[in-house]
Amino acid sequence: MKNQNINTNQEYKYGFTTDIENIRAPKGLNENSIKFISKMKKEPKWMLEWRLKAFNRLKNLKEPNWQKPKYPKINYQELYYYSAPKSASDKPKSLDEVDPKLLETYKKLGIPLNEQKKLSGVAVDAVFDSVSVATTYKEELTKKGIIFCSISEAIQKHPDLVKKYIGSVIPLTDHYFATLNSAVFTDGSFVYIPPNVRCPMELSTYFRINAAETGQFERTLIIADKGSYVSYLEGCTAPMRDENQLHAANVELIALDDAEIKYSTVQNWYPGDKDGVGGIYNFVTKRGACRGKNSKISWTQVETGSAITWKYPSCILQGDNSVGEFYSIAITNNYQKADTGTKMIHLGKNTKSKIISKGISAGNADNTYRGLVDIGKKALNSRNYTQCDSLLMGNKCGAHTVPYIKNKNSSSVIEHEATTSKINEEQLYYCNQRGLNQEEAVSLIVNGFCKEVLQQLPMEFAVEAQKLVGISLEGSVG
Amino acid sequence: MIDNFTISNKEIEKINFINQDDKEFRIKNLEFFNQNGFPSKRDEDWKFSDFREILSKNFKNISINNTYPDEKNFRLINDFDHNFILLINGRFIRSDFKFEEKKKIKIKEIESDKISRDKSENPLVCLNNALFNNGFILEIEKNYKLEKVLIIYNLFSDDLSDHILNNRNRVILNENSQLHTIEYTINKSKNKFINNSYENVLLKENSILKNISIQASKSDGYFYKFSNNKLKSDSQYVNFILSSGLKFNKQDIKVDLEGKNSECNIKSALFLDNGDHQEIKTRVNHLVPDCKSFQKIKSVLESNSKGIYQGKIYVKDIAQKTNAYQLSKALLINDNAEFNSKPELEIYADDVKCSHGSTSGNVDENSVHYLMTRGLTKQEALLLLINGFLNEITSEIKSDTIKKFVEKKLEFQINGY
Repeated sequence: MKNQNINTNQEYKYGFTTDIENIRAPKGLNENSIKFISKMKKEPKWMLEWRLKAFNRLKNLKEPNWQKPKYPKINYQELYYYSAPKSASDKPKSLDEVDPKLLETYKKLGIPLNEQKKLSGVAVDAVFDSVSVATTYKEELTKKGIIFCSISEAIQKHPDLVKKYIGSVIPLTDHYFATLNSAVFTDGSFVYIPPNVRCPMELSTYFRINAAETGQFERTLIIADKGSYVSYLEGCTAPMRDENQLHAANVELIALDDAEIKYSTVQNWYPGDKDGVGGIYNFVTKRGACRGKNSKISWTQVETGSAITWKYPSCILQGDNSVGEFYSIAITNNYQKADTGTKMIHLGKNTKSKIISKGISAGNADNTYRGLVDIGKKALNSRNYTQCDSLLMGNKCGAHTVPYIKNKNSSSVIEHEATTSKINEEQLYYCNQRGLNQEEAVSLIVNGFCKEVLQQLPMEFAVEAQKLVGISLEGSVG
Repeated sequence: MIDNFTISNKEIEKINFINQDDKEFRIKNLEFFNQNGFPSKRDEDWKFSDFREILSKNFKNISINNTYPDEKNFRLINDFDHNFILLINGRFIRSDFKFEEKKKIKIKEIESDKISRDKSENPLVCLNNALFNNGFILEIEKNYKLEKVLIIYNLFSDDLSDHILNNRNRVILNENSQLHTIEYTINKSKNKFINNSYENVLLKENSILKNISIQASKSDGYFYKFSNNKLKSDSQYVNFILSSGLKFNKQDIKVDLEGKNSECNIKSALFLDNGDHQEIKTRVNHLVPDCKSFQKIKSVLESNSKGIYQGKIYVKDIAQKTNAYQLSKALLINDNAEFNSKPELEIYADDVKCSHGSTSGNVDENSVHYLMTRGLTKQEALLLLINGFLNEITSEIKSDTIKKFVEKKLEFQINGY
């Protein structure tokens, strides 16, 4: 397969910003800015109390420092915790009412917010900075009883569901960034799939960080009720910026009896320039709970952007016979750093988990797989299979594997393997011989290396992801 | 008591072979230990073995004042000819190299001024730095290969109770020399005690050291050993860890591959019985190109036992053509057993072959079934499979007499099952 789309010296093509006036919360992290957010969101009292509880807890927490990539200290008092496009204060009822500048941005991003979206079959809950602007395909989803809206809307319209599930997977008392998110989260998506409903389309949200110095704190909550199925796509692009921007999102998934959630991410935020200046800090907490029997949660991620990626999408396998899966590609180039992996916590009987992680480092980058497989005493007959492969390009980059493996009963089996190698010279030579240039050859080989993970991506992402893999590694060989 | 266990600086005054420089080093290390106490699970290196908690559960008092009675009627192993060194409670008592050329071997009691002064953040190493006053220095001359194996009898006397011993040994193999050792632990104490030892090994060009650690019988001792190995070019280090039957044992092995074409092999076969807790931690640093390292750790875990393997391979950016492999396999034959592992890779060079594997699970039921159809009882079938699992390691011992001796000891451990 010859990938025509790889253009040498292609710059980060999503690097543009839109000039829209913002309404901002007072600068800094304090009770007032939290109250401001809650007021702007017209939240009920219990939500504000919940946020303040998180904030109080945060005061006693320290930022974790065990991770491999170190970053300059973040001054949380210098950040704005709320910024919304001005026109959103009176929400548009149809596309015509949406700020044309926003629409233009989406067009550049290729988000199908117009008629074509129907053909592509994607319902988009587009997030511009922190507020959902337009949610599409609502009607078709509503017919099936599916709720797909912004979390703020859900807090107002479906308080019982939100109250029941929010914080049930990532509690208020979790680590620093998760707790910070609980206190100041502004927007995100909410999905509820009623019992025995198979969501007819891939649900998708595009995030876009726009205003300078605005940390974005998303909160996503997905609940798949008994016997339901949903596939959720998350794709990210961000404008070119010099300041480091913090992104600390929380994603909670809950799968009840016989339900399945598939969560796919393609992350292509601004990684900083060739000298490692700028770029996004992506400190995300993603956790799924397989609460019911025979439930399944599957994480797929392609991480190519961000200056620092620091996340561990995890599965808590509580229900008997539940299944957790994690497929990951992490590509780091230049001065990018990635510390990513998963946690598979087996609590129920006959639970299964599978981890496939592919790390690719080039330039001066560092790539770490860090993971935990914990099979509890009562998780009889459980199984785990883990495979971590790393590919190194050059001797200035690093590839690291830090798996923690715990087996507490004799009927369970854990298998783990990891390898580290470089691109085979012979394969490169062979490709060159057949008329591919160096970059095309690398892209082809790396795509082959990642195939197991790319195959897991939904169609909408598969093509984009393959291109991304090639673009991310430009200039790293030869 | 264990939580705020500290040792007074006066104890350092009691150590007799001391100069000012050495004294300052010891005091600094003791201060570090007093500040940090015994390591707990908050230390990443002790995540799976909370030593402080284990000690608090089992010890009320810990004393550092030890005695060193000579064992008059001490008997040597008579399975095969060997040289020996006798240590009692860590102190060097006597040695016999009757099969060797005497002037090729230098052995003496350890002196403080010749030890390494590496800064450590490991509280037990610091405690050892501060207080060690026993052990030996063994040096083999250039081009000398020992005729017979050397057994280091590590004897613990029956009057030990709630003591902590700090001792240190140093082994130097000069160019082209070769040494095979068996570290044989004999515990006569029926009580609990802690042995905190530190070993320094230097292998010069083209030298070979092969070691087997094993013990005579089950024991209630709590053992920690830090082993610091430096390998020059073309040297080879082989270590078999067969220390089944200890209440607590942590072997912390660091290997620096400093010379090209050096090679390091660490192998272990362990059978852990009721209440045993054993950890093997290895850190292999590939610092130059063309080196090899292999670790193969196999454990069988019975009721209430806990086995841990923490292995790390570090490859420096210049260490191209490195070949490193790490494998840990565990058989859990009881539901109360637990096996944890953390096989870690940290790699900065691209032209390398590094991989690791880790598995844990029960005995294969199909194999048990097969053996039962051939007339074995379930118990016999299990024993056969466990033996086969562990013998894969011992079968790599080259000398037949030693292999037989080792397998006999191992069988003795397994048959308790």
